[in-house]
Amino acid sequence: VLQEPSYNGGYSETVTNCLLDGDLNLSYDVGQMTKADSLGQFEQLVLTAILALKEDAYGVSVHSKVQELARPKDVSLGAVYVTLDRLEDKGLVASWLSDPTPERGGRAKRCYRMEALGERALEESAVTAKRVWDTIAQVWGKEWAKEWGKQWGKEAR
Amino acid sequence: MGEAVGKRGSLKRPSPPRAAEAIVALLLPPACREEVLGDFHERYVSPAQYVCDAIRTVPLVILSRIRRTADPQILLMHAFALYVSFAGAAWFADRAFLDSERGLLCLAIPVVMVMFGILLEDAYAKPGPRAALGLARGPAAGIGLALFVEILFRIDQSPFAIPFRIVLDACGMGLLLCSTIRLLFPPLANQLQGARVPADLLKRSGGVVPPGAILILKSIAALVAIALCGTWLSDLSGLPPPRVISILMLSGLFLLIGYQVSKRGT
Repeated sequence: VLQEPSYNGGYSETVTNCLLDGDLNLSYDVGQMTKADSLGQFEQLVLTAILALKEDAYGVSVHSKVQELARPKDVSLGAVYVTLDRLEDKGLVASWLSDPTPERGGRAKRCYRMEALGERALEESAVTAKRVWDTIAQVWGKEWAKEWGKQWGKEAR
Repeated sequence: MGEAVGKRGSLKRPSPPRAAEAIVALLLPPACREEVLGDFHERYVSPAQYVCDAIRTVPLVILSRIRRTADPQILLMHAFALYVSFAGAAWFADRAFLDSERGLLCLAIPVVMVMFGILLEDAYAKPGPRAALGLARGPAAGIGLALFVEILFRIDQSPFAIPFRIVLDACGMGLLLCSTIRLLFPPLANQLQGARVPADLLKRSGGVVPPGAILILKSIAALVAIALCGTWLSDLSGLPPPRVISILMLSGLFLLIGYQVSKRGT
């Protein structure tokens, strides 16, 4: 049972016991848990894709979504796999194998779901990105920000 | 059931050539074979696109799997055990080789090969617990690779070839030491996987290894390293080995105390 860490600036309150096997009892508190690391740009893209895809996040769909988010840059499927593995190791996402489907030659999908730690890391990244945007808009002026806003609007359409 | 579903589906959509799929399946580590092959199948447009996808993706998948199954601390222990085996075998069998210009470098080549074998075997092992004897498969594969490279060096009459007596003695000792290390510290793919527990935590927990074991092994490794360095330095300086070793130990102790004091200070 992994309890949600408190969000009061500290990680020390919640204590969790993790029973992995009959004779092995791993216990750790959230203070020892991996902190919500600052995410790299590609990790942010992959996490955003998982967030947007909700229940349908698996290798191919995540790759398509990341490609859409990263345009005009080309994104390789291998880079998406590597990042998904890394995010899973950090505890930001969890994965499971689904049932086999005919369009995949009777093979299963590995589906991904965002964990609480991943949500927090993505939140932090979004807040930082907002701060960067605000600062740039402040320095380069509102006209520039409006211009870019229009351009983004066109791209989104 | 999956295969039956796949056969039904393949009537409607174009599917990749069986030979290409078989080759890709062979190259992919078993732990991620199912989903990656499925993704390739779903993305399939033409044979050229399939090959291109495989070339761009498979190496990254293998590297990612190696990163997930390799533990740097345990790899370092293997490297140390192997190098001590080769250096020890050279010391007893042919000391002149150890003193030669390229001696130490030549000994590092089979060590790297064995490490490479262990890394690959761990990455390609099926996930889940393995039998105790199965744990020796990694070092055995690595030693096979090292022997193969040494045979190639001998055929080529390369200056990096090691006398065969040293290779055989060292391989025997290395196999024993590496298998023991792997029994004490099972590979990450072999450890218990808890539902919803990040792999990072499992790595940190050290699996079924008692918490103090790594500290004890590190201390033993440090002592052996000091003894080896001391003997080598005493050969160079002409001073008696006990004196050099005790000087090294005292220096190490002072460094450790200094490090601990500075760590607590910060």
